Amino acid sequence: MADVAQAPFPLTFGTYEDARKLIGQAGEKTVAEFSVTQEAIKVYCALVEDANASYWDEAYAQRQWSGIVAPPGLLLSWCMALQWHPHRERSHYIMALRVPLPGDTLINVATTTEFDRHLYLGDRVSVQDRLTQISEEKDTRLGIGHFLTTEAEFVNQQGERVAVQTNQLFRYRTHEA
Amino acid sequence: MAELKFWDDVAEGEALPKISMHVPYVKVILNAAATNDYFPGHHDPEYARAQGQRNIYLNTMAIEGFIDRVATDWAGPHAFIRKRQMQMRASIYAEDTMYGEGAVTKRYQDTAGRNLVEAEIKISTDEGLRVPAVVTLELPRR
Repeated sequence: MADVAQAPFPLTFGTYEDARKLIGQAGEKTVAEFSVTQEAIKVYCALVEDANASYWDEAYAQRQWSGIVAPPGLLLSWCMALQWHPHRERSHYIMALRVPLPGDTLINVATTTEFDRHLYLGDRVSVQDRLTQISEEKDTRLGIGHFLTTEAEFVNQQGERVAVQTNQLFRYRTHEA
Repeated sequence: MAELKFWDDVAEGEALPKISMHVPYVKVILNAAATNDYFPGHHDPEYARAQGQRNIYLNTMAIEGFIDRVATDWAGPHAFIRKRQMQMRASIYAEDTMYGEGAVTKRYQDTAGRNLVEAEIKISTDEGLRVPAVVTLELPRR
């Protein structure tokens, strides 16, 4: 399924030995394409059916937090790449996509996020992540591949840390492939 | 507005009430749009099956939002989510119904003097546990 996988989320292919050379390496610091907006917050809350007044009620949010805040679950979404851009190739800040490995697909496995502060309307996040671990080859229910661990730091436009995230994903080939 | 939980009133062992949400196809597509996540496993059933999945499935951010809802539906909008740990042991597919529930496992103050509550949260479908999580909330005092 390499052709299919390449198109929407470009992956880099190589060996486990190639991949190990990147441990400790950081990706480029990326300024989010999307700033925090009330509309994006509403669409996400409609997805998870969250009525939290901090996201919907301006008067309440002003009293409690000095303004409407973004749901923490939206953190990654601000940094996702547009499907098309007039001046740039589509690229993702996610370091794990650029690690050369045989696996032609991936799935996210575990995420831990620690939050320092809220994001407010108009805020724009920057993110930088770093590859910290690659497992040896593992044979799982889904296929054969490697677990990649990355650590990402998210800051706002003032350079204040918003959150740090440790993420583990599985880069694999299915047993049929 | 939901009842507001204050740190003083929380007891270890207290239950976080169960919530549920049906996930029709349109919800999984809304998931892709709402989170700017166009990884094909979240919108292309053929790709999802080639990956060894049964159907298109929710992404991490949708499940995070549902985990957070279990916590803040219980604690109220004045709660600040300090930390969330989650393990995606199995996917949540289009046409599943997902459930979230939890229990307070710890009530404590950290070294910075924050008033914290830790809760174990379980996200399941009719097939069983899908995503175990632990959320640490900061709550105001009375």
